Order: sequence, then structure tokens, then C-alpha cells
Amino acid sequence: MASLTDPDALVAERRSGPEEIAPPAVRLSAVTRVFGVAPALVRADLRVERGEVLLVRGPNGAGKSTLLRVIATALSPTYGSGSVLGFDLVTGREEIRRRIELLGHRTRLYEDLTAKENLRFACTMYGLDPGEVDPVLRRVGLAGAAGERVRGYSQGMRQRVAVARALLRTPELLLLDEPYAGLDEAGKDVVDVAILAARAEGRTAVLATHDRTRGSMATRTVFMDGGRLLPELGAAEVR
Amino acid sequence: MTLLGQTVAVAGKDLRIEARGRYALGAVLPFAGTLLVAFGLSLGPGRTLLQQTAPGLLWLAVLFASILAFRQAYQAEGEDGAIEGLLLSPIDKAAVFLGKAAAVTLELLVMEAAVVPIVAAMFALSLGDAPLVLVGAFVLGTIGLAAVGSLFGVLVESPRAREAVFPLLILPLATPVLVAGVKATELAATGRGGQAGSWLSLLVAFDLVVLGVGTLVFGHLLED
Repeated sequence: MASLTDPDALVAERRSGPEEIAPPAVRLSAVTRVFGVAPALVRADLRVERGEVLLVRGPNGAGKSTLLRVIATALSPTYGSGSVLGFDLVTGREEIRRRIELLGHRTRLYEDLTAKENLRFACTMYGLDPGEVDPVLRRVGLAGAAGERVRGYSQGMRQRVAVARALLRTPELLLLDEPYAGLDEAGKDVVDVAILAARAEGRTAVLATHDRTRGSMATRTVFMDGGRLLPELGAAEVR
Repeated sequence: MTLLGQTVAVAGKDLRIEARGRYALGAVLPFAGTLLVAFGLSLGPGRTLLQQTAPGLLWLAVLFASILAFRQAYQAEGEDGAIEGLLLSPIDKAAVFLGKAAAVTLELLVMEAAVVPIVAAMFALSLGDAPLVLVGAFVLGTIGLAAVGSLFGVLVESPRAREAVFPLLILPLATPVLVAGVKATELAATGRGGQAGSWLSLLVAFDLVVLGVGTLVFGHLLED
């Protein structure tokens, strides 16, 4: 705990350490992210409370992926500030990374490893029990193909492996960027079950998807266009 | 998990990918072999000239081949965004650097084990006069090259970088390895291995500096 007589230490603690009273899962303040000269995210203000399932909708190029990758600390904000689970987006990113899982439309798999080897490597990286790999692969319906190289998988199978990797952990914040892409209905149901389980356990999820048939479990919906978060709509307007 | 355990896991993963695909060795071995045969034929049958040029040509082949190996080491990370998985994982990012350097070192040593005897036969290079110096020069030089390549190879996967900058970064930094490797090899091949101590020391110092700097800065290079 920083000394009350040392304002610098107090500021430093506030910037990098957990906030004292139930910090929101996500708090962004005027966050802008620029690639070259093109802004992909423009002055985004967002607050996501713990236990919420936030649905982010918007057309291609709206900035949904950039928003999720900034929250995941895969991208740094060019301007603005924010915190995730009480940790600063820049100075507390290692703490954030231990507590979140990003399931993106790139599956982040090694093509020449099998599904099982990919998940075992993920277990090593996160210090998890590799004994969980087989049950998780069964859960996503890939037990039969677990020993085959990912290079020969369809996009749907790859996405299932990525979903299985996300299921290995119980992150406090689940970030899902088009998680239904390439999945059949059964695969989409696996994703929905994971989100519902997170919600039931009081964990937080942010879901970005085009799929209008999915996302009914969301507690709130926000829209994006042109890199901007639009004013929130009520449930009737969303329908 | 300790830094060593994470390093072994990253190196093991890279070597498994290489063993499955033989991407690096499949490109590197024919490249190095062709380069050396072409040099040998262009220099003609003069035994003295061949012997004199062999160490330099051998190390040039190793250097150019290593650039292919470095590129391959990061290709698997870029194919489906796997490098972002490493970035977001809670491991010590230095383990990624050290693991990749270890894997590339082993791959290059396998390549050298195949190429050096061919060069010895073609260029009448003596391998038996100071074998320990020769092995030391290649092991130390290869560690140095692998460390430089693993440090800057990550920039190729960066959205801000261009692939063309990779050799521009690597080649000047690899010059001390090239010079020390050539001199130590030359001394070993001409029966003067006892005089190679200073060159081997230079290689040790280079390896320690690059491995140390890489361990410290790699995480920053990996970040957005």
C-alpha cells in the first residue's frame, strides 16, 4: 500500500495496481488507435461492469476487432487511457493478460502441430494441467481428430481447437471476436455454452459478432461504425 | 514454470515443427551446397587457392543459410497469428527469444555437420589438425548468429516492419561472428589452432552480449 503522504506512489499504484473498490471489468476513456495515419478506433469511451455479457455489433471495418485487441492488450492505445479488471492498459498489461482470454478470428494455431500438441503447448505457456486437454477436445467434438496436424483441418475445425484452448482456462474476462466464424451450429452452441457458463459464474464477456442469430445471452449491446462506438440503443431499438 | 522450462518448451515446439516440415533444412542445405559447389568450380583446381578461400566461403554459406533459417523460425508464428498468442501468454518473453535461438542453433549445426565434410573434401580443407578449435568456432559462431537472427526475426512479423529490412539488420551485426569464425577456422585448418584463442574469446563475448541484450529487449520488440 502506498503511503498517503506520497502522492507519486499513490498515482503509481492507481495506474498499475488493482483499484480498491470493485473496479469495472473494462473502462476505456477516449481511446484512439491509429494504424499509420488511419484511425481504426476513435475516442472510444466504454465501461463494462463485472458479470456483464456485452455484445458489440457493427459492419466490417467498424473497429470491433481493434476494440477487442486493445482491451486484450494486444494493441496499445495511440491516445487515451483505460483499465481492464482494475489494471492499467499499458502499465498493467502483464496482469491483464493473466486474467483474460482472447478468442479471435485468427486461431493462433501452429499448422504443423496436432490439435493436442497445440493445446499442450498452451498448457505449458499458461502453467495449466495438460490432463485437461483430452476432456476439452472431447467437449468441442474433436477427440477423433486430435492427433492430426492442424494444417489439414477445415476452418471450422480450427475454430473448434481455438475454442477448446479458451475452455482450458477460466479467465475473468472473455473476449470473443467473431467466434462463430466457420463453425457449424453444433460448434456455435459450444461457444454459446462457454459464454453462458462465464455469465453464470459471474465472469465477464465481450462478444463481437456479425451473426444476428447469436448473442441472445448478452446483457447489453453496443454498436460501432467507422471506428466509433455509437450511443447505446434500448432493447426495443436493437430488435 | 521457470525461464529454462519455458525456453525448452518453445525450442521443443519449433524443433517439432521443423522436424515435421523440414522447411529450414529443406531450403538451407541445398542452398549452402549449391553455393559452395559454385564457388569451388569458379575458383578452379588450384589447391592453395581453394584451401585459402575455404574458411571464408564456408562461413559465408553458413551466414546466408542462417538467414533462411531465421525467416523460417518466425514464419510458423505468423501463419495464423500464433505470435499474438505468445505475446498474450503470461510467459517470460525472453523464453521465446532464447527458445527460438536454441532451436535455430541446433538446425544450423545439423546443416554445418553435413556441409563441412563436403567442403573439406572439395577444398582440401584439413579438419583433423585442431578439431576442438573447429568445433568450438562453429558452435560459438552459430550461437551468435542464431541469437542475432532470433532477436531481429520478430521484426519481420511486426506490422510496422518489412521483410527487406531483416538482412539489412542482420548482416552488419553478424560481421564480428563472420570475421572471428573465418579466422578461427583458418587457424584450425592450418595446424595453428593454438593461436585461435583470441578469436574464440571474441565469439564467446559476442554470444554473451547478444544473448544478454536479447533477453532484456526481446519483450519490447514483441510488443505492439
